[in-house]
Amino acid sequence: MNTFVNQFSTSSALSVIKKAQAVTDDDEEFSDAAWGSEAGFGSLAKGVPSFSVPAVQDPTSFLRLHTDDHADPNCRIKIQHGTTTLAFRFQGGVIVAVDSRATAGSYIASGTVKKVIEINPYLLGTMAGGAADCQYWETYLGIQCRLHELRNRERISVAAASKYLSNLVYGYKGMGLSMGTMICGWDKTGPAVFYVDSDGSRLKGDLFSVGSGSTFAYGVLDQGYRWDLTDEEAQELGRRSIYAAGHRDAFSGNTCNLYHVKEDGWRFIGNYDITKMHYDGPGDVPGSTKVAYGYDVRVEGRTSSNPPVAAAA
Amino acid sequence: MDHFPTNWGRPRNDAYDAYGTFPIPNRPLNAPKDAFGEGVQRTQQPIVTGTSVLAMKFKDGIMMAADNLASYGSLARFKDVQRLQPVGDYTVIGAGGDMSDFQYIQSLLDDLVVEEFTNQDGHNLGPKEIHEYLSQVMYGRRTKINPLWNSLLVGGFKDGERFLAYVDLLGTTYSADTLATGYGAYIAQPLLRRAVEGRAGGADALPEEEAAKIMEDCLRVLFYRDARSLNKYQTAVITASGVSISDSKALETSWSFAEGIRGYGAQTQ
Amino acid sequence: MNPMNTAAQPQQRQFNPYTENGGTILAIAGVDFSVIAGDTRQSEGYNIQTRYAPKVFRLTDRAVLAVNGFAADGNMFVKKVKQRLEWYRHAHAKDMPLHAIARLIQTMLYGRRFFPYYVYNILGGIEDDGSGAVYSFDPVGSYERETCRAAGAAQSLVQPFLDNQIYFKNQQPAPGTAHPAHLPLPHVLSLVIDSFTGATERHIEVGDGLEIYVVLAKGRDLSGLEGFAGLQEVSSRSDGERIFVIRRELKKD
Repeated sequence: MNTFVNQFSTSSALSVIKKAQAVTDDDEEFSDAAWGSEAGFGSLAKGVPSFSVPAVQDPTSFLRLHTDDHADPNCRIKIQHGTTTLAFRFQGGVIVAVDSRATAGSYIASGTVKKVIEINPYLLGTMAGGAADCQYWETYLGIQCRLHELRNRERISVAAASKYLSNLVYGYKGMGLSMGTMICGWDKTGPAVFYVDSDGSRLKGDLFSVGSGSTFAYGVLDQGYRWDLTDEEAQELGRRSIYAAGHRDAFSGNTCNLYHVKEDGWRFIGNYDITKMHYDGPGDVPGSTKVAYGYDVRVEGRTSSNPPVAAAA
Repeated sequence: MDHFPTNWGRPRNDAYDAYGTFPIPNRPLNAPKDAFGEGVQRTQQPIVTGTSVLAMKFKDGIMMAADNLASYGSLARFKDVQRLQPVGDYTVIGAGGDMSDFQYIQSLLDDLVVEEFTNQDGHNLGPKEIHEYLSQVMYGRRTKINPLWNSLLVGGFKDGERFLAYVDLLGTTYSADTLATGYGAYIAQPLLRRAVEGRAGGADALPEEEAAKIMEDCLRVLFYRDARSLNKYQTAVITASGVSISDSKALETSWSFAEGIRGYGAQTQ
Repeated sequence: MNPMNTAAQPQQRQFNPYTENGGTILAIAGVDFSVIAGDTRQSEGYNIQTRYAPKVFRLTDRAVLAVNGFAADGNMFVKKVKQRLEWYRHAHAKDMPLHAIARLIQTMLYGRRFFPYYVYNILGGIEDDGSGAVYSFDPVGSYERETCRAAGAAQSLVQPFLDNQIYFKNQQPAPGTAHPAHLPLPHVLSLVIDSFTGATERHIEVGDGLEIYVVLAKGRDLSGLEGFAGLQEVSSRSDGERIFVIRRELKKD
C-alpha cells in the first residue's frame, strides 16, 4: 500500500534512517550476530548495532509521548533513572563515588543499583540519566576498548575512550538518549576524568558531579577539595559528598559506592549506608572522623550523652 | 544536559518553549516536515464499523453470535452484513470494528486457506493455527503503527478440542470460556459468565439449546442498550460435525416496559 | 494548558500502540533455589479479559522468565527470547547460562530503545555456580541481579512487604541474634503466597490464579516441596536442575 508515495516521501535524516532500515528489514534482527554468542551487540564488522524505530512521522515525539514524564503520570513506560555521581582527580589518583538509588517516576525502583560501571580494570564509567542507556553504551564501550587493545597492543587512553563514547551518543542526539557520565581512569598521562553527556558535551576536568543531587555534592566537594589531598582524605570527601546529596535530594540516597583509581587500576573501597552515615558515621574506615555526619552535629549540646565540646572539656 | 531526573530518558521537546522566547503562541514547528505525509493513508480511526461479537463454549463445541449491522458513525448504514465468517473446515471468526479492515483480513485468510489446500500435505488449518496467524498479523501491523482496526473472536473445534480466543488491533490475545468484544464486553460478558462460570460443571455441562437461549438473551440486552446494534443477527455453531452459520434471525423484542420507566428521558416524573 | 505547547500535541489523535494489562509478578532467590511467580488475571481498564493468561514462562531447565505490562509485547518478547535460546542450543549444544540470558534480554530490550517493549521482565533461575539468582529489568534493558523483586500493578504493595520480610528492612534482630542471610524454601513459598493473597485483597488488577515456578539447583533434594498442594514437575530431565510449578487459586472478585 502506498509504496510509491513512501518511496518518495521525504529526505530528512530520520526518514533516511528509516528507509535504510526498511531496505535491510529482514537483516535487522536475524544477522549472524543474533545467532552466535555476540548476544546482540551486532556483528563487529558492521560497527554500531541497529535499532527499530516506530513508523511514525516523528519518532522522537512518539518516544516523548510514551516514556515517562513527571507532568503526565499517564505515560506508562517508566524508565529507571540514576541520580548523584561524582568523580575527582587529585594527587593520589581518581575518586569515584555514587549513590545507589534508581527511581521510576516517584517510585524508588531500587536502592541497590551499581552506578559505577567497570568498563575494564583501568576504566570506570558512572551512571546518571537513563540506566539502560548508560549500562548498554558503556558495556559497548568496553568492547571497543578491548578491540583497541588488540589492534594497537596498548591500552586505550581515557581521552580516546571518552571521545569514542561522546562521538557515539552524538550520533543519536535529540532522539532521547540520556546519559551524564564520567569516564575515569589512569593512562600514560596519569589520572584522568572526562565528563561525557548525551547532548554531545565532552569535558576534561579535575572535578565533576552529575545528577539531580550534584548541587549538594558540589557544595561539600568544593569546600573540601585540594589537589594534595591524601588518599584517605579524598575517600572521605567522596563519601561525605554523596552523603550530603543523599540526605538533601529526594532522587538520591540508599547507599554510597566508593572507588579509587590508581596507577595499577581501580579498586572498590566500600559500600556505605547513607542513613547509617547520618546517625552513626561511616564506621571505622580510613579517613573517617568516626563521627556521624548528620545526627551528632545537629543534636550536639542537646543531650547529656552528647555534650557540647566546651562543656565536655 | 538536563540534570532533573524525571526529564531523563525522553527526547527533549524542542517545540516546547520553556522560556517563552518566541513572541507568538505557536512557534514554528522545527520537526522534519514530510511533504507527502498527507498522502500516506492508514486506518487512524474506524469508519464503517461493526459492534459486539459474542462467543461461548458449550458441551459439544463453540457458539458465536453477531448482529448484521455495519454503522457509519451513528448511521445504521448497512443492515445485512455478515460478521461471522467460516475459515477452513473447523473455524469461524467474528469481527467487530472496521469492516473494510475485516474484509482485508478475510482476503488474507482466503489466500492462506487456498495455499494450505494446494499444499495437499495432509495438514489442515485448525482454529489454533488461524488464531496464531491472526495474532501475528495484528501485532505486526500495530508494530508498524498501521493497525487493522478490529476485535476478532476465533472459535473452532478440531481433534475433539474446543478452541475460543480473542485478538485485537493491538495484538492482545486471550482465551476464555466466554468472550465478548466491544460493548458486549461490558453488557453481555457478565451475563455469559454467570451462565457458564456460575454453573456446576461449567461449559461442559451446558447443552446447545440452553447456550442458544443465553446467546439470544445477551443479544437482546445488547439491542436494548447498545445504540450501534441491530435486532437482526446470525449465530455460528462449531462442533465435531463441522461449522454451521445460521441465516439471519430477528430478535423478539418488547418495548412495553418503556412506559414504566421513570426518572430520565422524556418522562421525568 | 500552556499555549506554547500546542505544537507538541499533534500526536494526540494518533493510534496508541500500547495498553496495560495489569497483573503482578515476583521472584525470590534462595541459596540453591529460585522462585518465580505471577498471577494469571489479564485485564484492560476495569474489564477482566481472562482469568487464565500465564505471565511466567519456562525458558530452559534452569531459567524462568516472568513478563508484565502490555501482554502482546510480553508474549512476543518471550517468543523471541525462546527463539534465540533455541538458536544458541543449536550453535553450542547446551543451554545458555542464566547470566548470559540476562545480558541477552538486555540487548534485546535495548534494541527497541526508540520503540520500547512495554514489558517489565524478571528472570529467575540457577547460575552456573549453583546459586539461586534473580535479575530484574526495566522496559529498555537496564538490569541488576537481586535477591527479590516484585513488578507490575501491585509492585508498590508487594515490594515493601518483601523488603521487610526478606531483607529485614526496618527490623531489629533480637539481642544476640542475627537475621538469616537466606531463607529456606518453604518459608519463601509462604511469603510468595501471602504476597499474592495480600495484593489480591488490595489491588483490582490482581487475582484469579497464581502460578509459582520453583527452580532447584542440581542435586538439591526436594525438601520443602514434597506434599505441596498443586505441585507439578516440568523439567525436561531429572539429573540436572529441576523445575516445578505450583498452581493455586486466588480470589476472583
